[in-house]
Amino acid sequence: MIFIYLLSGLFLGWSLGANDTGNIFGAAVETRMLKFKKAALIASIFITLGAMFEGSGPSGTLGRLGSVDALGGAFTVALAAAITITVIVRLGIPVSTSQTIVGAIIGWNYFSGRLTDYGSLITIASSWVLAFVLSGAIAALLYYLIRPWVNRSRMHLMEQDFFIRYALIIVGAFGAYSLGANNIANVVGVFVPVSPFKDISIGNLFTISGLQQLYLMGALSIVVGIYTFSHKVMRTVGKDLFHLSPITALIALLAEAIVLFLFASRGLYNLLLSMHIPPIPLVPVSSTQVIVGAVVGIGLAKGGKNIRYNILGRISIAWVAAPVIAFFISFVALFIFQNVFEQTVQQETAYIFDRVVITKIARDGYDTDALAPVNGRKFDTEQDIFQELKQQDALSREALMGIIAIAEKSPLQVDLAKIKASGFGRNFSPEELDLLGRLQDVKFRHKWQLSEALGQYPQFKIHRVPETEAQKNHNRLVEEKLQILYRSLRIK
Amino acid sequence: MALLLKTTRFVESQIDTFLDVVSDSATTFQLAVEDYLNGRIDQFDARLAQIREFEHRADDLRVSVERFLYERTLIPENRGDVLAILENTDEVIDNIKDSLLQFSIEMPQIPEELDDLWIQTTRASVAAVEQLVFAVRSFFRDISAVNNYIHKVYFFEREADHIGERLRRQIFAMDIDLSLKSQLRFFAIHIEKISDAAQNVCDRLSIYTIKRQL
Repeated sequence: MIFIYLLSGLFLGWSLGANDTGNIFGAAVETRMLKFKKAALIASIFITLGAMFEGSGPSGTLGRLGSVDALGGAFTVALAAAITITVIVRLGIPVSTSQTIVGAIIGWNYFSGRLTDYGSLITIASSWVLAFVLSGAIAALLYYLIRPWVNRSRMHLMEQDFFIRYALIIVGAFGAYSLGANNIANVVGVFVPVSPFKDISIGNLFTISGLQQLYLMGALSIVVGIYTFSHKVMRTVGKDLFHLSPITALIALLAEAIVLFLFASRGLYNLLLSMHIPPIPLVPVSSTQVIVGAVVGIGLAKGGKNIRYNILGRISIAWVAAPVIAFFISFVALFIFQNVFEQTVQQETAYIFDRVVITKIARDGYDTDALAPVNGRKFDTEQDIFQELKQQDALSREALMGIIAIAEKSPLQVDLAKIKASGFGRNFSPEELDLLGRLQDVKFRHKWQLSEALGQYPQFKIHRVPETEAQKNHNRLVEEKLQILYRSLRIK
Repeated sequence: MALLLKTTRFVESQIDTFLDVVSDSATTFQLAVEDYLNGRIDQFDARLAQIREFEHRADDLRVSVERFLYERTLIPENRGDVLAILENTDEVIDNIKDSLLQFSIEMPQIPEELDDLWIQTTRASVAAVEQLVFAVRSFFRDISAVNNYIHKVYFFEREADHIGERLRRQIFAMDIDLSLKSQLRFFAIHIEKISDAAQNVCDRLSIYTIKRQL
C-alpha cells in the first residue's frame, strides 16, 4: 500500500521537476547558451546530489505538510498539488510549488476540521508581491551595474561568451543543488516515517540508508519531470515573457541566486547570528516569483517596451489560482478518498479540557474565564471548539489556536530506536540524543508535556518571550526538532 | 583555464587573422594600382597573385570560423550577425581581386594626366577598407569604439565617391576614343565599388552594435 501512496509523492516530484527546473535553466536554454539536454543533465545530477546529501528533513513546508497526520491524507494532498502544478505547467506557466502544496494542505485542514493558521496565507500573499518586487529591483540594479562594466571591459566577444556560458552552468548547478536539498522534503518527506527501504551496504565502502534511497527515488521522479515536461516553462521564462540575451539571462539568474541567498538562506542567517551581526530577516520567497520578477526587472530597466504584459498577466493569475485550485482539488479528493475508497485521511484526534489542560492554559497566560463553556468537555475537531468559543470575544483567533494546541490529545512515547529508524536521527546532535535517552519509554498525553519535559535542558528550552534574534532562532530550531519528535514518537 | 579557453582563443585568432588578411589585401591593392600606373607590370602581376592567395585564405578562414561557431554553438545570440559581417567583409576582398583581375585582363591604357586622381580614388577606397577592419575588430573587443570607425568608413566612402566622380568627369572631358572613355569609366567605378562594399558592411555593423550593447 505504501508504494501506491508513494506514487503521488513521485507524481509531485515529476511536476516539481517540470516546473522548477524551468526557473533555473530556462533563461540559459532559451538564449541557446546551453542545450536542453545538457541543462537537463546538469540539473538532474545536482538535484539528485542535493537531495541525497543535503535533503533536509524538516523544511518549512514539510513542517506544514507534516501536520497532515495520516498517510492517506498526505497521499491526497500531494496528489492535489501535483495535479494543479501539472495543469498549470502544461499551460507553460511557472508556478510556486510550495504555495500550491500549502493550498492543498489548507484543503486538508478544512476537510479535517482543523483551524488554519492565517500566517501561512499571509506568507503566500506577501510573497506574490514581495519576492517579485525584490528580485525585480535587484535584477535592475545588477543590470545598471554590469552594463557599463561589460561595455567598457574590452573583453573579446568570444571570451565573453565563454565566461557567461560557464557562469550560467555554475549558477544553475548551485540552483539545482539547493532545489534538490530544499524540495525533496516536499516530494517524499511525508513518507519518511513509513519508508519501506532498508539500508544497503555496498561492500564495506559505504552504506546507502533507507532514507537516502527514498530521497533518491524522489530525486529520480524530479529528473523524469525535467526531461519530459520542463521545456514549456523554460520557454516562458527565457523567451516568451521578455527576450533575454545571454548576459541578461545571467543577470536574471544572479538576481535569483542573490535574493534566494539573502532572504531565504537559513545558512546565511545562522552564520550572521553566530558572528553577532544583525541578520537579514528571513523572507518567504519562491524561486518562481523571484525569477519572473528578475526577468521583468531587466525588461523594465531596458525601457519596458518589450515585456509581454499579457503573459505576465497570465502568470500572475496562475500564481493566485494555483493555491486556490489545489485547495479545492484537495478538499474534493479527500472527500472521495474517505467516503468512496474508505481510506483514512486523518487521524482520530481528541481535544480534552480537563484539569491538567486548564492548568497549563492558565500557566501560559490565557484567560481561563472564557473557557467555561468547554471546561471538562471533550471535542473531536478544532472547528467544534472554535464554534463553541468564538462567541466569547475575550479570546483572539491566535489565543484560540494556542489553547486548542494545548488541549489536543496526542499520545507519545519516547523511543530512541524509533527516532533513529525513522531516519531523522541525524537532525539531533549526540548530546541531544543522549538527553532524549534519559526520557526513554516515558509516555506523554500531550505534545506540550514532552516539550516541557525536554525544556528542563537548555538545548530544548524554548524562550517564552524571545528578546534577541539569537533566541528567536533557537526557538525555531527547537520547534523544528519537536515537530520531528511529535511525528515519529506518536503511539496509538 | 587556458585549456578551457582553447577553442575560444582559436576562434579569436582565426577572426583576427581573417581581418589581417582583409587589411593586407587592401594595402596590396593600392600598391598594385600604383605599380600598374607606373608600368611595373611584372610587379603588378605578382601583387595580383598575392591577392588571389589572400582571397583563398580569407575564404578558408571564414568557413572555418563559421564551422566552429555552428558546431560548438558559440555566441548563439550574435552568431548570425558575426557570420554576416564576415561574409560581407569577404566580399570586399572579392571586389578587390575582381578589380585587379579586370586590369590584368583588359590592360586599359590610362592617360598619364589621370594618374593623380586615379591614385587618390584608390587611396580613399583603401582607407575605407582599413577603417572597416578597425570597426570590425572593435565590434569584437571594444564595442564603444565601433561607431567612431564606422564614421570614418562613411567619410572615406564619400571621399572615394567624390574623387571618383571627378575622375569620371575628367575621363569624359578628355579627347580620347569613346570606347576608351567607356572602358576607363568602368575601371573607375570598380575602384569606388570597393569602398561601397566597405560601407555595406558598416550599415549592418552599426545595427549589430546596437544589438550588442546591453
